[in-house]
Amino acid sequence: MKTDEVVVRVGGAAGDGVQSAGLIIAKVFSRSGLHVNTYNYYQSIIRGGQSWYQVRASDRPVRSQGDGLNILLALNRDALERHTNPMINEGGASPLGKTGVAIFDSSITDYKKEDVQYVSMPLGDIASRHGKNALMKNTVAIGATMAAIGMNFDTLADVIRDQFGNKGEVAEENVRAAREGYDYYLANFKKLGIALKTSNKKFYLISGGEAAGLGAVNGGLKMYVGYPMTPASSIIHFLASHEEQFGIFVKIPEDEISAINMAVGANYAGVRAMTGSSGGGFSLMVEALGMAGMMEVPLVVYEAQRAGPSTGLPTKNEQGDLNLVLGASQGDFQRIVLAPRNVEEAFYFAREALNLAEKYQTPVILMSDLYIAEHYETVEKFDLNFKIERGKLAQPGIKDYKRYEYTPDGISLRALPGTPGLMHNEDSDEHNEYGDVVSDAITDPALRAKSMEKRMRKLSAYIKSMPPTPTYRYEDAEYAIVQWGGTQGAVEEAVDALREKGIRAGVVEINRPYPLNPDIGKLLSGKKKIIVVEGNYSGQMNKLLRSEFLVKTELITKYDGENFYPGALAEEIEAVIKR
Amino acid sequence: MVTIADYRGKVKPDWCPGCGNFAQLSAISGALTDLKMDPKDTVVVSGIGCSSNMPEFINTYGFHGIHGRSLPVASAIKWANPKLNVICYGGDGDGFFEGTQHFFHTAKRNVDITYIVSDNQIFGLTTGQASPTSELGMKTKTTPDGNIEKPMNPLTLALTAGATFVARAFSGDAIHLKEVIKKGIEHRGFSFIDVFSPCVTYNKINTYDFFRKRVYKPEMDTKNFAKAYEMALQWGDKIPIGIFYDVQEESYEDRSPIIGSKSLIDQPLVQLKPEDLAEFL
Ligand SMILES: Cc1ncc(C[n+]2csc(CCOP(=O)(O)OP(=O)(O)O)c2C)c(N)n1
Ligand code: SF4
Ligand SMILES: [Mg+2]
Repeated sequence: MKTDEVVVRVGGAAGDGVQSAGLIIAKVFSRSGLHVNTYNYYQSIIRGGQSWYQVRASDRPVRSQGDGLNILLALNRDALERHTNPMINEGGASPLGKTGVAIFDSSITDYKKEDVQYVSMPLGDIASRHGKNALMKNTVAIGATMAAIGMNFDTLADVIRDQFGNKGEVAEENVRAAREGYDYYLANFKKLGIALKTSNKKFYLISGGEAAGLGAVNGGLKMYVGYPMTPASSIIHFLASHEEQFGIFVKIPEDEISAINMAVGANYAGVRAMTGSSGGGFSLMVEALGMAGMMEVPLVVYEAQRAGPSTGLPTKNEQGDLNLVLGASQGDFQRIVLAPRNVEEAFYFAREALNLAEKYQTPVILMSDLYIAEHYETVEKFDLNFKIERGKLAQPGIKDYKRYEYTPDGISLRALPGTPGLMHNEDSDEHNEYGDVVSDAITDPALRAKSMEKRMRKLSAYIKSMPPTPTYRYEDAEYAIVQWGGTQGAVEEAVDALREKGIRAGVVEINRPYPLNPDIGKLLSGKKKIIVVEGNYSGQMNKLLRSEFLVKTELITKYDGENFYPGALAEEIEAVIKR
Repeated sequence: MVTIADYRGKVKPDWCPGCGNFAQLSAISGALTDLKMDPKDTVVVSGIGCSSNMPEFINTYGFHGIHGRSLPVASAIKWANPKLNVICYGGDGDGFFEGTQHFFHTAKRNVDITYIVSDNQIFGLTTGQASPTSELGMKTKTTPDGNIEKPMNPLTLALTAGATFVARAFSGDAIHLKEVIKKGIEHRGFSFIDVFSPCVTYNKINTYDFFRKRVYKPEMDTKNFAKAYEMALQWGDKIPIGIFYDVQEESYEDRSPIIGSKSLIDQPLVQLKPEDLAEFL
C-alpha cells in the first residue's frame, strides 16, 4: 500500500448525496494543500442505481483516478458489497483490500465479516441528534473518514460551513455532526497508516468544464450559445451562473443547429461567441461548421465527447469523436482542432481557441471528454495574463475593399457590419475576392480554384507557430506511447510504473490533433515500438497517425465507458512490448 | 442624403424576368431610403433559394448563409450589435420547411428583427418542387399527381408563436409592399411579412393574375389578436393583405439584463482577476 496517497470512495444510489459527499472530501484535501484528483461514476438517472465518487489525494501530483482504495464510505448495503467484492466489475476500479476500511451505518448488519476492516458506526443515530436532514449521516461519515486519515478537523469544519453557504444553524448542525463522527472514530477505531504531508499551498479545485469556461472568459468571450447535453453542460452551467459577473450572454436556443448559427452570427458581427455540445449536438452542427469555413467567419465549437454511438452512454467517457470532428461538413476547408489533456490545459486552450478563430478566420474545435469536463482536480495556478488578438480587421477608408482578397497568407481583412463604406456580401456559395457569388453561373473554374487555394493556405502560419508536441519521460525512451486528450494522467502513471520495472517507455502527447504538428513524425521515428493508447474501439488517432506519418503502430483501446487505470494499462503496454 | 441609388448593389439580379423578388428588392431599398437609414447600418441575412440571393443585389452588409438557418444568424447579429438594423429574407421552403423551428422560436422570443418571406408557394431554385405553402392538388416535379398535403398558414403560425407584428403583402402591389415593409422595420420586436411573390417559371397557379383577382385591403383591428387570427384564416376568392397584428411588447433584447443595457460589441472585455477564481479555492 502506498502511504503517501489516499483513495476514498463514496458509494451509494443516485439521490443519496454521493457526489456532494465526495466533493466535500475533495475540498478538505485541496484546502490542506494536497493534490487531488476525483472520479465520478454515475448513471443518467435522478434516483436509484449505483454510483460512486472517488477522491485521490497526495502531496505529490495525482494525475488520474489511480489504482487502489483505502476508505470506502458505503451509503447503502449494495455499495458495501459491491466495493468489497474482489470481483468488482466497474471498468477497472479496485475493490477495497485487506488494509482498507469500510465505513457504514450500523443498521447494515448482514455482511461477510472477513477480508476488510469494517467500521460499523451509528451514523444515522449520531446525525439525528444534531438535525433533521437524513443526509446528515453522510456528514458524520465524512467526519469519521477524516479521522481515519488523520486530517485536521478544522479544515473540514471550514469546508462544511462554505458548503452550506455559511447558513447559520444548518451549517453548525452539520459541523457538530461531523465532529461527533470524527471523535467516535478516534475513540473506537484505528487510524489508517497513511501519512499525507499537508502544506500551505493554495490549490484551485475545479472541473474541466469550469476551467474551459473561465479560460473562454479570459479570452474575451461575450456570448455562449448551446443546447444542454452531457458532458457539455458543465461549461454552460458555469457560464450561465456567472452571466452578470462576467458580462456574458448565455443562451439556450431551440436546437444545436440554431446554436451554431447564432454563434456564427455573433462572430460575424464582431463579438466573440462560442457554441458547444457533445457528439450528438455536434452532429447537428455539421452543416453550419462548413459555412463558417467557407464564409471565413471565426467560430469556436466546444465538443465534449461521451460514449457513443448515438445516445450511447450519456454519463460515460470515450474518445470516439475524433473522426467526426476531423471530417465534419462537406468539402475541404481548414479547421483547427485542440484537445486539452487535462483540466488546466482546458483553461489555456479555451482562450487560445478564441484568438486562433479570429486570427485565422476559420472554425476552431475545442475538444474535451466526459472525464475532463466533469471531474475535479487541483490546479496550482492560472496565469490570467492574456493578449487578445483579433486578427485582421478592416478600418473605414479602404478603397476597392475586397473581403476575400487573395493574400499570400490566405487571410483577408474582415469588415464588421456597421463599418462605413465597406458594405459587402459574405456568402456560403463560392465567391470571388469581393464576396460576389460565382457559383450559380460559374464561368471561371480558375477563379474557383484560386478561392479554394486561398482558404486552404490560411493555416500555414499556425503550423509554423505551433509549440513543440509535449512529451513525458521521452528523452531516452525506447518505446513511444502515444496518447491524446484526457488519458494523459493514466498513461503517464502507467509509464512511471513501467520505468520502475526498467522498461524505457515515454509518452508523446497529442493535444493538437489537427493540423498535426510535423514534429510528431520525428518524435516517433527510430522507436522500437509505437503504441497508441486511446479510449475508443477503432483507434481513430492511430489511423490518423498512420496515414499522416506512415508509421507502424500498435494499438491499445478501451471502450467500456470507463477510464484507463494506470496499473492495468501498464500491464497491457508491457504485454504489447513483449509480444 | 441617402437615395435609393445608394442601395443598388453592383451585381445585377439574376432572377427570371417578371419574378416577384424584383418588387421586394425595390421595396426594401425604397423603405430603407424613406427611413433615411445609412446602408452601412443594415444587414440583410438570408438562407438559400432564389429569393435568398437578395443580399448579393443590395448594397448593405449581407450574410448569405445556408438553407433554412437565417433567423438564428440574424438574431445573434442583433444581440451582438443592437444598433444594426437586421432584415432576414428568404423563401417559403427556406423559412417554413427547413427553418420552421427557428421561425417559431424567433417569433416567440420577439427578437427585434424584420423577417420577410418571398412566398411563391414553390421551390424556385431547385426547379419546381412542392413547398409547405403549395396548394392542395398542385402538380409539381415532386407531386406529379397533385400535392396531397394541405398548405400551412404562415400568418397563423406567426401569431400563435407570439410575433408582435404580422403582415402580408403582394409583389404586384409595390407601393403597399413598401409601406408594409417600412412599418415592419420600424416595429420594435419581431416583425413578420409574408409576401405573395409569383414564381413566373414554376408556379403556373399562383400567378400575378391569380392574386390580383383575390387580394383586398380591409381595415384591420391590428391590436386585437382574435380578430387578427380570424382575418389570417380568410382564404379563397378573397384574400386579405396588409397589417394583421401590430402590438408593442418588450423585445427579447429589452428583457435581457446583458444585452438590454449595452451592446455586447461595445462592452469592454472582462479582465479576470485572481478574486474571480476564489470560489474554487
Ligand atoms: C440543407 C439543404 N437542403 C437542400 C438544399 C437545396 N435547396 C436549395 S434552395 C431550396 C428550396 C428553395 O425554395 P424556397 O426556399 O422556397 O426559395 P425560392 O427558390 O422559392 O425563392 C432547396 C431545397 C440546400 N441548399 N441545402
Ligand atoms: S425560378 Fe421562380 S422564384 Fe426563381 S427567379 Fe425564376 S421566377 Fe423567381
Ligand atoms: Mg419558394
